[in-house]
Amino acid sequence: MNGPLIVQSDKTLLLEVDHEQAGDCRRAIAPFAELERAPEHIHTYRVTPLGLWNARAAGHDAEQVVDALVEYSRYPVPHALLVDIAETMDRYGRLTLSKHPAHGLVLTTTDRPVLEEVLKSKRIAPLVGARIDPDTVAVHPSERGQIKQTLLKLGWPAEDLAGYVDGEAHPIELAEDGWALRPYQKQAVENFWHGGSGVVVLPCGAGKTLVGAGSMAQAKSTTLILVTNTVSARQWKHELVKRTSLTEDEIGEYSGTKKEIRPVTIATYQVLTTRRKGVYPHLELFDSRDWGLIVYDEVHLLPAPVFKFTADLQARRRLGLTATLVREDGRESDVFSLIGPKRFDAPWKEIEAQGYIAPADCVEVRVNLTDSERLAYATAEAEEKYRFCATTDTKRKVTEAIVRRFAGQQILVIGQYIDQLDELGEHLGAPVIKGDTSNAQREKLFESFRQGEISVLVVSKVANFSIDLPEATVAIQVSGTFGSRQEEAQRLGRVLRPKADGHQAHFYSVVARDTLDQDFAAHRQRFLAEQGYAYRIVDADELLTES
Amino acid sequence: MSTEEKSAAPRSLAEALRVRDDVSLAALLRSRPDLVTPVPTDLTQLATRAGTRASVVRALERLDRFALQTAQALAVAADPAPYEELLGLMAGDEGDPAVTAALPRAVALLREQALVWGADDRLRLVRTARELLAPSPQHPSPTGLGPTVREATAGMSPGRIQEILAAVGLASTHDSVSAVSALGELFADRTRTAALLAALPGESREVLDRLVWGPPYGQVTHDPAPHLRALLDRGLLLPTAPGTVVLPREVALHLRAGRAHRTPEPVPPPVEAAATHRPQVVDATAAGQALAALATVEELLKEWDEGGPAVLRAGGLSVRDLKRTAVALDVPEPVAAFWVELAYAAGLVASDGEADERYAATPAYDEWRELPPAERWARLAESWLTATRTSGLVGGRDAKDRTLSALGPNLDRSAAPEVRHRVLALLAGLPEGAAPDAESVLARLRWERPLRGPQREQGEQREDDLRSRLARWTLTEAELLGVTGRGALAAPGRALIGAPEPAHPAAQPEPVGPGDKLPVHHHRAPLAPAPVTPAERGAATAAAARLLAPLFPEPLDHVLLQADLTAVAPGPLERELADVLGVLADVESKGGATVYRFTPGSVRRALDAGRTAADLHAFLSRHSRTPVPQPLTYLIDDVARRHGRLRVGAASAYVRCDDDATLDEILADKRATGLGLRRLAPTVLAAQTDPAALLDGLRAMGFAPAAESAAGDVLIARADARRTPPRAAPEPVPDGPPVPDDTLLTAAIRAIRAGDLASTAPRKPGHADGADGGPAVGGELPRTSAAETLATVQAAVLTGEALWIGYVNAEGAASQRVIAPIRVEGGFVTAYDHTADEVRTYPLHRITGVAELADDAP
Repeated sequence: MNGPLIVQSDKTLLLEVDHEQAGDCRRAIAPFAELERAPEHIHTYRVTPLGLWNARAAGHDAEQVVDALVEYSRYPVPHALLVDIAETMDRYGRLTLSKHPAHGLVLTTTDRPVLEEVLKSKRIAPLVGARIDPDTVAVHPSERGQIKQTLLKLGWPAEDLAGYVDGEAHPIELAEDGWALRPYQKQAVENFWHGGSGVVVLPCGAGKTLVGAGSMAQAKSTTLILVTNTVSARQWKHELVKRTSLTEDEIGEYSGTKKEIRPVTIATYQVLTTRRKGVYPHLELFDSRDWGLIVYDEVHLLPAPVFKFTADLQARRRLGLTATLVREDGRESDVFSLIGPKRFDAPWKEIEAQGYIAPADCVEVRVNLTDSERLAYATAEAEEKYRFCATTDTKRKVTEAIVRRFAGQQILVIGQYIDQLDELGEHLGAPVIKGDTSNAQREKLFESFRQGEISVLVVSKVANFSIDLPEATVAIQVSGTFGSRQEEAQRLGRVLRPKADGHQAHFYSVVARDTLDQDFAAHRQRFLAEQGYAYRIVDADELLTES
Repeated sequence: MSTEEKSAAPRSLAEALRVRDDVSLAALLRSRPDLVTPVPTDLTQLATRAGTRASVVRALERLDRFALQTAQALAVAADPAPYEELLGLMAGDEGDPAVTAALPRAVALLREQALVWGADDRLRLVRTARELLAPSPQHPSPTGLGPTVREATAGMSPGRIQEILAAVGLASTHDSVSAVSALGELFADRTRTAALLAALPGESREVLDRLVWGPPYGQVTHDPAPHLRALLDRGLLLPTAPGTVVLPREVALHLRAGRAHRTPEPVPPPVEAAATHRPQVVDATAAGQALAALATVEELLKEWDEGGPAVLRAGGLSVRDLKRTAVALDVPEPVAAFWVELAYAAGLVASDGEADERYAATPAYDEWRELPPAERWARLAESWLTATRTSGLVGGRDAKDRTLSALGPNLDRSAAPEVRHRVLALLAGLPEGAAPDAESVLARLRWERPLRGPQREQGEQREDDLRSRLARWTLTEAELLGVTGRGALAAPGRALIGAPEPAHPAAQPEPVGPGDKLPVHHHRAPLAPAPVTPAERGAATAAAARLLAPLFPEPLDHVLLQADLTAVAPGPLERELADVLGVLADVESKGGATVYRFTPGSVRRALDAGRTAADLHAFLSRHSRTPVPQPLTYLIDDVARRHGRLRVGAASAYVRCDDDATLDEILADKRATGLGLRRLAPTVLAAQTDPAALLDGLRAMGFAPAAESAAGDVLIARADARRTPPRAAPEPVPDGPPVPDDTLLTAAIRAIRAGDLASTAPRKPGHADGADGGPAVGGELPRTSAAETLATVQAAVLTGEALWIGYVNAEGAASQRVIAPIRVEGGFVTAYDHTADEVRTYPLHRITGVAELADDAP
């Protein structure tokens, strides 16, 4: 017994990364355990009922799971945990959703008491129709997602054998001329396609768009792509034209300005959730064509109304793409039950090790407030406090110093408060992109940044996501949306695109010491720290004296 | 009652016992310890005691199923019965090799227990046992047999018996007794009865088939159908009461092919293995669990270190506290109850006995903590094995419908240690690494004690009798404690119950041949816990600890620190390291490894505990295999920087002055030493004396201080008169007692007069003590003999005269009274008491003497 794995009684698995069997072990436990944290020495996986059921759905049985644990475990595995795993996995498949030739969608059981139990539930009752025979009950086709979600909550997950509609066929091929899908992208596409629907988690800059394109090439059908904003929509279009057999005419944009519906349509979340007189007029888009595939980009941002609507789309294949499946509202599990389980997940550091994303040096710069600032901070209203410390004057000086240090490289300065950004832009002599910058202007600025015509760009949170700026090597974060973990990760993601010269990326987070800013920063960094990004802490004074 | 030519055969149980040797008697007394308390004077008394109902019931309850079935069969056999008849009843006409093999053992056991005596040709069940086991309408026998023909025809008219004899074709006889025995013999004769039955219509035989395995009673109408009539006519059914008929025992036995039991169970049901694991896996799993058990108990008591939960008034832990404990330990409530009870049984936790009673760790806990882990475990396991407290009952309700609370009263079940031991012994009987099928263990236990259980806990299902529940709990608890691993008994657990090496499946001793003479002993392993003496117990425990010790992983002296502010201990830590880390970081996940998380709060806790930042840095770098991550260093420094920046202390008064020099002067003054002054800031002094004393002191030193209010205003010390809070004026304290009022005076006078009358009334001289002569002198109590007293009082009742008596009250105080007796009865005199001026009753025996009053009395 000298395995790399330690099985804890709280169902977390600790994997010692430096152990020689770590790789084998990781592969053995990946099907059922979720990677929760991946810092430098010991990775933490968690065994959840959902994970176990997904493993069952993917064809693994309890025996394999138990074997994997026992095989690699350093210490004896608690018996109770093994029993629990077997019992949990045994719950899956007692209920199945399938297509009945006469009755449409039906829920059948192999274990009658289970069906009786779930039918008694008040939440299930409105979702089902007539009892066809003692083991079968009809389900309203529109409630397929809802009933799956509810059954999951009741602890009796249904195996969905009802299949997917193929949608309207449309030829799509990958145009792999001079490039090819990376191995992990291929794996992700394969896992997704095999599972039918689900979420693919890849680090920022690891090429999620290509996973989308690969999946479309598999589906070969009309596709609806939902993205966060117009700039991102354009990037998707650009990438698809470049990487697939699709032409510009085949791809439509459905946004605030254009309302094109083509075989492949890219829509923004914003337009879908526009509400007029209490209704969402654009949600009809989902029904406007017989979509064979729906791609949700940055699925962690999925807005609530789209959630609701997605529940009704269970017969269509759904692909969710994200880098950071952490939601501060804790609705991760809704994503899984509505879009589908996590089909692929790669630790950031692993992709980095393979050279597909740039290595990053994360630095937290601690800035001291001046005495007068401290006084102002101490007496500020509670809701103003963060703004006060986040926009301290010293930060500007530090930012200038960093910019000076990396002169000649492509630098992004990212912040939350427009006043602060404007001021910084003024001092650095750099253009500022914020909410009221027009799309045309944004694209123009991004383009000249890509071309290297301007080397410093100050952006607000509009650039948090999906902005493809391959040559940015330094990001300086001066303030953020409080303690948002995924924002931090996404901002780091802006500089993770592999550099042409294999250059290291730098991520600076400027933080005011002994203030709320520091507390929020600690929380923001948690996701990345758990992904193995060790922040270095530097005092502002040191940094200023150095330069 | 038996008078036989065989002089050697014992004629009573006492005689049977008399011929038994010492070893055999010792075996009897060991298996029935109630017979020796108190020690009987002779064998006759022993035999009598062995025949008492309570003792027999107790002995029967401890029989295994087959022995019990044998006793039940004997109860329906003739008295005395030869061994062959018993064998016939047990094995049936066709015979049953298993029964034939097992029966001698059962008979020997019954003999040993003094439930059966007599040689094999004359086996007798002791009378009380026979009464308990023989069928009667009130207590149907488990055999389902009814009364014999003789018993059933006891109240029948001779004419009716003659009719039956005629119907079955027997010669009629006028002697009822021989008629009945003829009928009985007929039914006992298989061939003739078969012929008789064959002649019956099929419906009749169906009726018999319904009754054959019992209950043997049936209802008939006043005018039975022909097929019933046929049975009644032939005596195959006999009436017992109007409308009720019974199937006579002989007929039933005929239909059962001679068997008393439908399914005799000569062989104990084997304990089945549900799964088999490698012994190493079992031991390792058990060791892991044992380690977890130690950690849990320590965590529990650490949780209670600073004020454990309160003790309920009725004793025990409240449901809420149990819930809280369960959450803290991250286990379900029944499991939490188990740990709490375990710690209690091991003497590690107890109520502190304070006025506000709470649970807390005992000093024994501190000693226990110092032991090596394996011994710590062995202590717990031993306490568990021998405890009568059963945590499984927690949350249930007792007979009075009160909730049973953990650590509370009524959790003791005397059967628990025996069942635990037995279950583990059964596990030990399986091959190494085999996990038993729980149901088969329960079935085996039920076989071993068929009468225990349902009778004990009334109103419960058979499956849920106490012993079965205890056995189930034993299996779960053994797993929690690490006595078993993956369900199979681990090596330390095996040693714990004193079981030898992995045993050969349930080796039953050789059966004893039927011809064997009594007494037979040691035919099977005793069910009672094997190591009984404390020394054996201790040796077993020590052996368990010895076996466990190498299975525990070596404690580590290092942890892995990570940049996400966690530390992972990839195994058990050395105690000192674990203790410090437990303060410095929060435990996030427990198990084989421990995950700690550093937070500002946890670091502050360590600083509060008196550690410095430098200490902590040194500690971490000493125990980390990898460089200490920079964020962690910063975290500690950050917290340390702010730690203690605000200081809080107590002062009674302060001196402030804008001029530093004045304060310097005060501090330099010798007279200020008594004021407890300390400089907090250039312009502020704190003092330990109260403001008034401080003002006086400073004034004495020649300063002119002004007092300040809480708001900082100067208090003007006006020459106001000082006032107390509201006070009541004092009550006057008079010099003598108050003057009495009229009522009091009247009463007093009357009392005085009455007393006077009693002491001074001239009396007539007593006649009995004429020798002494003269009337009793005033002030002396009159003395007369009891008889004289009675006579005088009775006479006084008749004459209505008043008497002078001496009286000693219950406290022993003597007094004189003048009474006019009204009546004398039952040793009491009811009289008008002139002294007290009311009617009173005096016990005659308390009256020391009487004297008549002189005639000039009132």
